Amino acid sequence: MDRRLVIALPSKGRLMEKAQALFARAGYDISRIGHERGYRGAIDGMENAEVAFLSASEIAHHLREGKIDLGVTGEDLLRENIARLEETAQILTPLGFGHADVVVAVPESWLDCATMTDLEEISEEFHARHGRRLRVATKYLRLTRRFFARRGVTGYRTVVSLGATEGAPAAGMAELIVDITSTGSTLRANHLKVLDDGVILRSQAVLAGRTNILADPRVQDMQARLAAVLKTD
Amino acid sequence: MPASLTAAQRKALQAQNRAIMELFESRGFEHIRPRILQPADVFLEKSGEDIRSRTFLFTDPDGQQELCLRPDLTVPTCRYHLAVAEDPRREAKYCYRGPAFRFHGMNDPLHADEFEQVGLEWFGHGNAAAADAEVLALALEAVRLAGLVRPYVMTGDPGLLRALLDSIDMPQRWRRRLFMRFRRPEDFRATLHAMASPDDGGRTSASNLVDRLAEAAEAGTEEAVALVERELETRGLPLVGGRKVEDIAQRLLEKAQDRRTPPLSRETVALVEDFLAISGPMHTCAAELERIAERAGAPMERAVAAFTERLALLPEDGGMEFATGFGRSFDYYTGFVFQIEADARGRSVTVGGGGRYDDMLAGLGGPDVPACGFGLHTERLLMAAGGA
Repeated sequence: MDRRLVIALPSKGRLMEKAQALFARAGYDISRIGHERGYRGAIDGMENAEVAFLSASEIAHHLREGKIDLGVTGEDLLRENIARLEETAQILTPLGFGHADVVVAVPESWLDCATMTDLEEISEEFHARHGRRLRVATKYLRLTRRFFARRGVTGYRTVVSLGATEGAPAAGMAELIVDITSTGSTLRANHLKVLDDGVILRSQAVLAGRTNILADPRVQDMQARLAAVLKTD
Repeated sequence: MPASLTAAQRKALQAQNRAIMELFESRGFEHIRPRILQPADVFLEKSGEDIRSRTFLFTDPDGQQELCLRPDLTVPTCRYHLAVAEDPRREAKYCYRGPAFRFHGMNDPLHADEFEQVGLEWFGHGNAAAADAEVLALALEAVRLAGLVRPYVMTGDPGLLRALLDSIDMPQRWRRRLFMRFRRPEDFRATLHAMASPDDGGRTSASNLVDRLAEAAEAGTEEAVALVERELETRGLPLVGGRKVEDIAQRLLEKAQDRRTPPLSRETVALVEDFLAISGPMHTCAAELERIAERAGAPMERAVAAFTERLALLPEDGGMEFATGFGRSFDYYTGFVFQIEADARGRSVTVGGGGRYDDMLAGLGGPDVPACGFGLHTERLLMAAGGA
């Protein structure tokens, strides 16, 4: 008998709707168990499996901890929350919705700052002049560190920001931000601009699975059926 | 292999470290115990995000102050000195032994998150070359005392590159730009070659404004400030992010000036690249550095003379290497730096390192005081010396 698989889907919002619709088109009918807002569900079309409805960031954490086998969540959350992603889990299928970019954004008033190279020079100058580092407000600590290190920007420090990150520069909590944006309108409203080479990740919703279940025929079947549906889009 | 030591290993470690401390104290270094809990700011501002990603950070229970477990004992020793010394400019010699904390997240005794560091720091000494030499000699004596037979010593001196750039005719901002990329060879080379190339390396979203400054023949600071003010006003942009109009204008102006600055000559690029290629046994390198100094001019000649003076004072040792490109991952070293490496459990590991950091005490709010010292990772030392 196959092991029971747990697949997690986003529990609310457009991610939930789009995920359910896509799975339905691939032949997986998903229903919540108990009342409409229940957190567990059944999945028709896959044997011996159950569904957990979780928030997108919980899905990334649960995948890391091995509490679930498969999950639909944002690529940004996977790359941010799982230290050695390839060892723990793999992205099986990009799902074609939930598009958003993780970007480096600086005040629009920094007319001289267009690239990461400018930012590197400004960070050195800022430190020499003020005796402190530029602060980057973000919830993406890992993505920020990796990207900045690769671009040679080391003279900065991160400030953890869990909400309304785009307001941090105006509030004097940070000089610049790393945040996720889909249309850029929130950034513009806060007088921030994305650096020319400041896109850290072009993210979208993905199906990801723990590495130890990738060989399971049910998982491979799911991957194939989702891919077939997506191809017709 | 678990990350914690066995009782026998712990005992061997204590014996090793006691012996090293006795050595330091017998040479006039006072045994101090800086705080394990340190204000986080100091470390983060000194070291940048690279160290932050390895530092254990937390807020005190009142939610008032951000604290850290010290990732290193050099900064805590500097803070101790500034707090207790009657006159921080006067000479002081300290040694220490205690835990330091760096997150590695590996189950590996060579990369444990908590390790015991021994080391010493020497402030306000007279002759820098002599102090550098004595500090390195003491570090080598300490690792030999622990039983390390063949330490491999790598040395460098970021001050030499600074002197070389000072000897070359170029705008000060170009020197700054090159020097800050010293630790990243590819970026350094790309910057150097861009400075030698007549075109300015491509358009960016800031280029249009730079064009306007570059077109005005006599544009200076005033014109640049006026341009920035007009632009902010027209577009209704608030000035946020801690930089002044003058800071922004100055960089735009520099970009405009860069377009008019003659590129570096091929000879200059060759000089810098020949310098950066120097690496090998210290005595061989000294001869090569002298030839570079002849090509470069005065500031470099003085720096190389100091290098040679120090070399004469260093302990006679067959295994000492030097490389112009060698710098340590901590970014506060200003002069001579060294790293001691050895094989432990079939891997090459860094058992210690140190050097000169003359800007540190002033950067912590103290007076300008020369400083040098080193720290040893004692668990690695024990394993490399065969004691575990």
